Amino acid sequence: MRDEYNAETPLVMHVDLNSAFATIEQQARPLLRGYPVAVINRRTEHTAIVTASYEAKAMGVKVGMKFREAALLAPGLIGVESDPVKYRFVYKKLMAILNDYSPVTVMKSIDEGVIDFHCLVDRRPMTEIGYEIKQRLKDEVGQAMRCNVGIGTNRFLAKTAAGLHKPDGLDEINHMNLRATLATLKLTDLTGIAEHNQARLNGVGIDTPLQFLDSDPVTLQKIVFKSIVGQQWHQRLRGYEVDDRTSDMKRVGRQYVLEGRDLTRQQIMQRLHHLCESVGSRLRSQHKVARGVYIYAKTADRQYWHASRMCQLPFYSNATIYGLAEQLFYQAPGDIREIGIHCYELSDDNDSQLSLFGDVLAREHQLVEALDTINRRYGDRTLHSADTLQTGNFIKQKIPFGSTRYL
Amino acid sequence: MNDELYMNERIDVIATFGEGLNPCRPLRFRRSNGREVTVSEIGLRHPSVQGKRTLHMFDVTDGAADYRLEFDSERLTWHLTFEGDHYA
Repeated sequence: MRDEYNAETPLVMHVDLNSAFATIEQQARPLLRGYPVAVINRRTEHTAIVTASYEAKAMGVKVGMKFREAALLAPGLIGVESDPVKYRFVYKKLMAILNDYSPVTVMKSIDEGVIDFHCLVDRRPMTEIGYEIKQRLKDEVGQAMRCNVGIGTNRFLAKTAAGLHKPDGLDEINHMNLRATLATLKLTDLTGIAEHNQARLNGVGIDTPLQFLDSDPVTLQKIVFKSIVGQQWHQRLRGYEVDDRTSDMKRVGRQYVLEGRDLTRQQIMQRLHHLCESVGSRLRSQHKVARGVYIYAKTADRQYWHASRMCQLPFYSNATIYGLAEQLFYQAPGDIREIGIHCYELSDDNDSQLSLFGDVLAREHQLVEALDTINRRYGDRTLHSADTLQTGNFIKQKIPFGSTRYL
Repeated sequence: MNDELYMNERIDVIATFGEGLNPCRPLRFRRSNGREVTVSEIGLRHPSVQGKRTLHMFDVTDGAADYRLEFDSERLTWHLTFEGDHYA
């Protein structure tokens, strides 16, 4: 456990696109520039806002707000339907730019990436690289594109630095300005500290990031977080790397808010079938198999119903996933407004275990592989069940937040 | 909500093919009703693979409306697929 601040030269850079999807729309459609823009998943007033432009944010619009409420705050707010293909293109451009600077580059989500320069011997000044990345983004994607760049001794401080001056900022946090920088922030400005953790910290008299920095590691571990997480925070705040790890995939799922309240049971089952196909495709794209299926439904009167089933043998095909979900869904209540499914107990699809039904499984494996190959080549859902022939009109491809696995 | 129109209209396009990161640049297009539009800015160009074909999507503007032009690199055809003029 190190008590001193990490005094090494900051060599971690965090690059974050500003209001990414809204900025990309403003780049693609020049007439949107300068106007409050909200990216939404459906063209209705009841939909939630996925991303708001800086002009909209300045008028009080927040991500997750209903479009209708946001339009009251920001008169003239322009709703633009999300276009995942476009965002994926910009993500790949950003990834290509970041990869030019270090072999240790990790995309944290569709709009942010981290470059670690520790492995490089011949280093240029970090701020010079930061400004160069900003310029390359403008040259290679478009002049309206802006990004925040943060530099720190670890990922946490680099990300914190990237959030200091939005939009289009470039900041560095090092051992000399660490205290001064933390003094300007609130606890909830720190990535990983939301209301719940803030309440825990407040409970032991920690009300500011500086008090958090000065707190005793034993208090953080034994009283506040009650786990090793406390020690990690102690190190993280001092600039030591504790976040350089990848997390295992625990589950894969999708949910869908029904497009109307008057759908028949059969129509709801078709939409569930569509979700199963989507989940199956994602599962196989990660070379995983599952042993459990969990489904849920939310009703119009805000009741939550769920059911799950574990199987002895792993599965991966759309037909098996839907077969299990269909059996579970018979118990679901009426008046449903949202459905969801996820597969859990995931493991690698190494196909090594011998089975009495080996020939049957091999045939299924070949069939599924053939279908996936066609869908990869000719586009998602080129081949799918006849049961879901119409559902693609309603259930659209979603923007993958948080994870870059499916990009 | 704003005023957007989605279509699949075959158009004639004058474009230059040069060098750089965006070698293909549509300059002017003529719609099926005869109206000609001069492109003042290309906002974004991104590819979209559809089977063996690659379509190149050009989001452009003439200063009065935003348009999306799609260039089919196999059939060598241009289509206008979007028009939005809702921001005034």
